[in-house]
Amino acid sequence: MAAVKSVRKMYGLCFHAVRQTAGLKWSRLLQQRTFRVSAVHQQQPFDSTLEKPQFPGASAEFVDQLEFIQPNVISGIPVYRVMDRQGNIINPSQDPQLPKEAVLNFYQKMTLLNTMDRILYESQRQGRISFYMTNYGEEGTHIGSAAALDPNDLVFGQYREAGVLMYRGFPLDYFMAQCYANADDLGKGRQMPVHYGSRDLNFVTISSPLATQIPQAAGAAYAIKRENLDRVVICYFGEGAASEGDAHAGFNFSATLECPLIFFCRNNGYAISTPTNEQYRGDGIAARGPGYGMLSIRVDGNDVFAVYNATKEARRRAVAENQPFLIEAMTYRIGHHSTSDDSSAYRSVDEVNYWDKQDHPISRLRHYMTARGWWSEDDERSWRKQSRKTVMEAFERAEKRLKPKPELLFTDVYEEMTPHISKQRESMWRHLQQYKEHYPLDLYDK
Amino acid sequence: MAAAARFFIRGANSKLATTNSFGASLLKLSPSCSSRTKTQQRHAAHFTFQPDPVPTQYGPTQKMNLFQSITSALDNTLANDPTAVIFGEDVAFGGVFRCTVGLRDKYGKDRVFNTPLCEQGIVGFGIGVAVAGATAIAEIQFADYIFPAFDQIVNEAAKYRYRSGNMFDCGNLTIRAPWGCVGHGSLYHSQSPEAFFAHCPGIKIVIPRGPVQAKGLLLSCIADKNPCIFFEPKILYRAAVEQVPVEAYAIPLSQAEILQEGSDVTLVAWGTQIHVVREVAAMAQEKLGVSCEVIDLQTILPWDVETICKSVVKTGRLLISHEAPVTGGFAAEISSTVQEECFLNLEAPIARVCGYDTPFPHIFEPFYIPDKWKCFDAIKRMINY
Repeated sequence: MAAVKSVRKMYGLCFHAVRQTAGLKWSRLLQQRTFRVSAVHQQQPFDSTLEKPQFPGASAEFVDQLEFIQPNVISGIPVYRVMDRQGNIINPSQDPQLPKEAVLNFYQKMTLLNTMDRILYESQRQGRISFYMTNYGEEGTHIGSAAALDPNDLVFGQYREAGVLMYRGFPLDYFMAQCYANADDLGKGRQMPVHYGSRDLNFVTISSPLATQIPQAAGAAYAIKRENLDRVVICYFGEGAASEGDAHAGFNFSATLECPLIFFCRNNGYAISTPTNEQYRGDGIAARGPGYGMLSIRVDGNDVFAVYNATKEARRRAVAENQPFLIEAMTYRIGHHSTSDDSSAYRSVDEVNYWDKQDHPISRLRHYMTARGWWSEDDERSWRKQSRKTVMEAFERAEKRLKPKPELLFTDVYEEMTPHISKQRESMWRHLQQYKEHYPLDLYDK
Repeated sequence: MAAAARFFIRGANSKLATTNSFGASLLKLSPSCSSRTKTQQRHAAHFTFQPDPVPTQYGPTQKMNLFQSITSALDNTLANDPTAVIFGEDVAFGGVFRCTVGLRDKYGKDRVFNTPLCEQGIVGFGIGVAVAGATAIAEIQFADYIFPAFDQIVNEAAKYRYRSGNMFDCGNLTIRAPWGCVGHGSLYHSQSPEAFFAHCPGIKIVIPRGPVQAKGLLLSCIADKNPCIFFEPKILYRAAVEQVPVEAYAIPLSQAEILQEGSDVTLVAWGTQIHVVREVAAMAQEKLGVSCEVIDLQTILPWDVETICKSVVKTGRLLISHEAPVTGGFAAEISSTVQEECFLNLEAPIARVCGYDTPFPHIFEPFYIPDKWKCFDAIKRMINY
């Protein structure tokens, strides 16, 4: 108890210091959100009179039998599910009972993403954009989790989470503008396709290096905790990225620094060609969470309600308790890794077909809606037609648009234009004046 | 990587009961210390610190060594910016070099805190704090251990603003790290890695020569809207003492400072090496009657081309000196730029007096470093060219 008291005292001091400085610049910073004050998380007090281990590194009893701890990979962490493959709610107490409009919105966002994927995938095959990555089979993880968040919650993603932006209302024109790197692209045409970002929608711009966003999400969550607002950070990554050192860093930092953060792992069975048995030997990613002192759960990623429920509860508790949560959504990457990959080189068509035809997040939600009379064959036909039309229209607009002006090659390296970069910019323009016929200047904005 | 340092700390502690910090123990053993036994006897200090004139324009001053001026800059920042946080390995109790002493007690443990021992995590975390709009001051315990964070610095921090079209940035991030040789730091407590970062558009790299510059430049790094790496010459933490303004002040980035006007040769250096070339300038004057212009570069990236070139146009000769290995060192960049800009003015080949292309050795340090004799000899050859 003494430890708890002294900890309280320390927190008291810290409140005091914050109050003293608050209101100088950052009026939103009022007082700290509740820090967890739990003896479990403090180093145990030293007491040499007790007949128990006194090691500062762990709180445990002695044993007098030699026994190694066996990992449990045969019977792993169970997969939380709300509805079965036919869209029937399995346990009514777990039914989120979302209103019809919300469910229709889920379905339309998932299918719109799917339509966009098909069109952009084809456009890459025709050489109209340079690169693309589809979201086939993982639409449920995006929409279910995005719906459980507040629009102000900050999202850090990997690259296969376009559905989160779709759910938040990112216009089709912006998706297309980014893939075409045209003058409307918010990213000014600098990154490869599917590296989306939106300040307005609190979706941090995607970058290619895997897992780098994981410790960054921890830092952002820490800053948000100090802001003392009702916000969390969510950080998406694949099971392959979870092997990076940065994943270890992010998990450990967020636990020790008590960050309101949801780690959302999309375990889709493959990292390009590498199957999970070459990626790890433990019980997936969820089993690592407790090792970091993190509350963890595994959900059926093809069950949008299971994803929704888990994210909703993780969000509620992450805000209230300032601690990280780990959600591992089990799913299957139905499409190729990217347009630069042919997945038939390393997995069977039968395997892919099973997930596409018999256990798909979109068809499962459709079963659910049909059973309630919320969706008919006619609705499906007309929605397909309409969504295809909107996507095609945006696609054509994007294709016609000019590229951004070449000037933008030089800005935003630093906040200000530095003399040496400015000099290089002038040098490029001088060069272009003399050799303009060798450059595609007519495709770019003036 | 940092595990090696931790091991080192424990070893140092067990031998020197008087101190509880690695930095202190390193410096106790350093040449400037008077209590030398025969077994600890080392080569004489390779430089003599020369304090700057007392700055009068920023209000009252106080005698500070370099680590105290860093603390003072951090103190000013935490006082004026409620979002600012300081974190890294062992910063909570004051840091292994004492740079954060007292700050946790003054500002709270949510603002000055230890992280797990993981450099990629520290920088990634700092980027995240900055992306969320708060001020992040990260410490890497030794510049030698910054390499695990190379990916986060080069691929992430440096490119954040550019790749997002200026929607997101981590301009509020500053990374501080002890830097440079220390007499006996060997391979992993002596490195000067600035050239690795100088090849990376999007970051700023800053190195001060003493307490006054350290505070002013660090405050500029923290205020700058770009991610900055601030290297602190650890051999100066205790050795360099001068009058430092107590209140916050800024010394502009990307501006070299002419410390001594001259007409025959331009000498460019940064960090501790400035004190070496200052002495070399005096030797050249005395022994050769050569007038040297001494310039502290201060910011490695983006560097002050104009000041250096102007000086070389006047003197016609340039010597650049740094502790880091010569091949791919930053002197190469300065040298080729000056050659491009001042071709008609150059009267001798540009000289680079740098560390050799070897790892930084332990017992051979006196032979490794580009000391005043090596620099002096280079000037002699340059004048006679």
